[in-house]
Amino acid sequence: MIHDAYDLSFYEFDDEKDPKEYGVLLCDVVHGRPPLKPTYIGIGWQWYYYGFRWGAETLSLPSTHGWDSRFVNGYPYITAIRTTQEEASARAPMFREKIKPFLEDFDSVWDPLKTELIQMYKTARASRGLKEWKDIERLSNNDLLSFFLDFAYIINRKEGETHMIMLMAVYYMSGMLQQVWRNLFGVEAAIDPNFTSLMGGEENANVRVTKTLWQLGRQAIDLGLQPIIDATENDDAVLSALAKTADGRKWLDLFHEFLLEDGWRCERMHAYDTAAWIEKPGIAINKMKMLMKSDVFPFDTERERVNKEREAAEKAVMAKCPESQKEVLAMLIKGGQNASHWSEDHTYYCDFYIGAMGRWIINEFGMRFAAAGCIDESDDVFFLHPNEIRKAAIPMGKINLRPYVERRKKQFEEYSEMEPAPFYGDIEQAQAILQSDPTLSVSTQVPIIRKELKADLYGAAGAPGMAEGIARVIMNAKDLSLIQPGEILVAPGTSAAWTVVFSIIKGLVTDGGGALSHPVIMARQFGVPAVSGTVEATQKIKTGQRIVVDGNQGVVYILDK
Amino acid sequence: MEEKWLHPLEELGKEDNDIVGKKCANLGEMAKAGLPVPYGFALSVNAYTSFLSRTGAGDEIAELVERRPVSPQDIAGINELSASIRAIVESKEMTDTMRSVILSRYDALCARCNSPDLPVSVRSAGTVSHPGQYETYLNVKGKADLLDKIRKVWASTFNSRSLAFRLNKGMPLNNEPIGVAILAMVQARSAGIAFSADPNTGDLTKIIVEANWGLGESVVSGELMPDRWILEKESFKILDKTLGKKEKAVVSGVSGITEEELSKEKASAFSLSDEEVKGIGKFVVDLETLFGVPQDIEWAVSTEPSSPPIVLLQARPVVIAKKSTADQVIDMMVNLLTVS
Repeated sequence: MIHDAYDLSFYEFDDEKDPKEYGVLLCDVVHGRPPLKPTYIGIGWQWYYYGFRWGAETLSLPSTHGWDSRFVNGYPYITAIRTTQEEASARAPMFREKIKPFLEDFDSVWDPLKTELIQMYKTARASRGLKEWKDIERLSNNDLLSFFLDFAYIINRKEGETHMIMLMAVYYMSGMLQQVWRNLFGVEAAIDPNFTSLMGGEENANVRVTKTLWQLGRQAIDLGLQPIIDATENDDAVLSALAKTADGRKWLDLFHEFLLEDGWRCERMHAYDTAAWIEKPGIAINKMKMLMKSDVFPFDTERERVNKEREAAEKAVMAKCPESQKEVLAMLIKGGQNASHWSEDHTYYCDFYIGAMGRWIINEFGMRFAAAGCIDESDDVFFLHPNEIRKAAIPMGKINLRPYVERRKKQFEEYSEMEPAPFYGDIEQAQAILQSDPTLSVSTQVPIIRKELKADLYGAAGAPGMAEGIARVIMNAKDLSLIQPGEILVAPGTSAAWTVVFSIIKGLVTDGGGALSHPVIMARQFGVPAVSGTVEATQKIKTGQRIVVDGNQGVVYILDK
Repeated sequence: MEEKWLHPLEELGKEDNDIVGKKCANLGEMAKAGLPVPYGFALSVNAYTSFLSRTGAGDEIAELVERRPVSPQDIAGINELSASIRAIVESKEMTDTMRSVILSRYDALCARCNSPDLPVSVRSAGTVSHPGQYETYLNVKGKADLLDKIRKVWASTFNSRSLAFRLNKGMPLNNEPIGVAILAMVQARSAGIAFSADPNTGDLTKIIVEANWGLGESVVSGELMPDRWILEKESFKILDKTLGKKEKAVVSGVSGITEEELSKEKASAFSLSDEEVKGIGKFVVDLETLFGVPQDIEWAVSTEPSSPPIVLLQARPVVIAKKSTADQVIDMMVNLLTVS
């Protein structure tokens, strides 16, 4: 039977053929829970899934043609499109040429691409007479539609291609390192503290943004504005409260400059239905308040420790390596470190920025459709596909879009109540799939079970350290403010939007994510013990329970049962 | 006493490397194994050092070097020094004893080959591998020419490149003893090189043969594109053959060598038959087995009735191009990904 996926044929699951064809399809809970909405699945996500294949083919990756994606009950499932032995051998010579620059001079590949992307976004942001967020309200329907089509078919495509050619190359290198690690040292890299320690330390774009926000907090304190900020509980009202004084206005100018440059990011990275910082500055104020609790920037204090650990790990690893292979291992490690750094860095230039641009345009259509009576409320727009937006945009108000919204909204609400199956097909094949395409571990995971440890949960990867504390289960980014400092966060996954909490939590456990996933990389950088890829942490652990997180072994113990 | 200076090839083996140089020792080993090498003899390192000391050349050189020290960066100074030293060496006459030892052996060689004033090649043979660093002379005829060329080969150990190398390493300038191989010239219809592994990729499953008409110099010097064959080592099946861009060939002149234009027919024809290519392939594999590592050889094809059809002139281990680290990493990645 073929399962519908919000009318998106790209993702339809054939429950007889697909498991047979692919062996196994794994659920991407890191990105897909809580469920993604139809508009985003049809635009941003679809460019990513086209991008994985475009990247794999452009790079001529020997073992994979890229990922395939299915949506079942509203949740994403992924698998590798494997090559045959003959194809692998035939692709190897071209792969050699394409991967070399990434190995020899990574920055010379990524830096120009970053510049190109920012240029593209800024040009689009300044097109059609636009400058501030609110300016979009002044566009005619005609101009708004043309802007939407530029976004949906040109700008997002370019972002998807750039994003995925980097991702496929970078994670392929990291995956190789993990395989070589297994061969050289007989241990799974993902749960080896020596491996994870090798990866830490460098400041990436997201950390820079968080640090800038922290600095703005310090500046507010220096200007004597803290009392006003503390007194104003409603984050959205803080701006108008500060506007009453001269010093406050001075600070607001700095804050606005910051938002124009770095505020193009939404609460949820892979969605259009949450506000951007530049749209709703109160979101950034909320995060700034959390950061104002520390008079040092946590990443800075951790950095020295993280760097020392990295140097020690480098020494230890090289000492264990045969002399003849040292140069090769050093280059592979550098490749892995580049992968780890890029993993965080790129979200600023790719996921966040393009998501915010999508928010800007599509949310505006939502407002207009609702005002014109095509849909009941503006948020309903996030259930529509581009052709429906095109259908109803000009002239505004003629088309009733409710049938499309209602059908999909009903499905979405049902899906949100369901527990996604962790996989379809034969789970025994999961390791083979992950090894054939090392890039998959950014989105998916297979827990590494070691019965002798008698743990309550086993993970697929970890960030080093041990922590004991009270668990806080958070299913949704909007509930992040419930976390108390010193608690252990338990979540389906984390995304770069959750960066700020890393400075206050004691430990982290996630359902999703392998060695290259966001939770592991961020946890390592902030020195937070973490276990990712447990699959069922959010089911088994309850808020308030005392748990132990052993990031060195990649296991979790529940103390109060 | 004279045995210290001169060794017939048949009496040599690979263990004699330090006495007569690699080239001669290997030729001896090949002769012992029954492989077709030219008739000839070797001069030992003792002949070299003896010549320098008995003629006083060694002392003069030492004196010169002390009088005029040169820094490694001073290219002009090095060139000048080299020219002066070589002039000293070439100006000395061998002792009577040495001359008679060498010439009587040459006479025996001429008799064996049934040719007075037998043309020979005079080749430098270092004890450490220095491909192309010292001189080789081809088509050397008659006694006077022979003695002159031997002296020139000895003098070539003081060429600019060697002096610069020693200066850089802080080694003494005035001595690097070498052996000399004196071999009957093969009247080569075609000649060239062969490898029992690909020098660029290290692929051990292939044999590569390169050839041109005439003497092997045109192939070794790299000045033209030779005919090229790739064989599968296991079966000697010819997997690929490419006609070279050959307009000239190197041939023996009155004495020494000269270049001649190839006729249109010759230029557009392969310089070896498939059978000959396979024959060469079999020999290079024999040599790989003999020496235990993949071989880089020089050979010649002769149409003289008194000569074996294929003659092996030189054998040494293949030097496989050192791969960049990135290439090694990619090799590893490709291996991990394409072998299940």
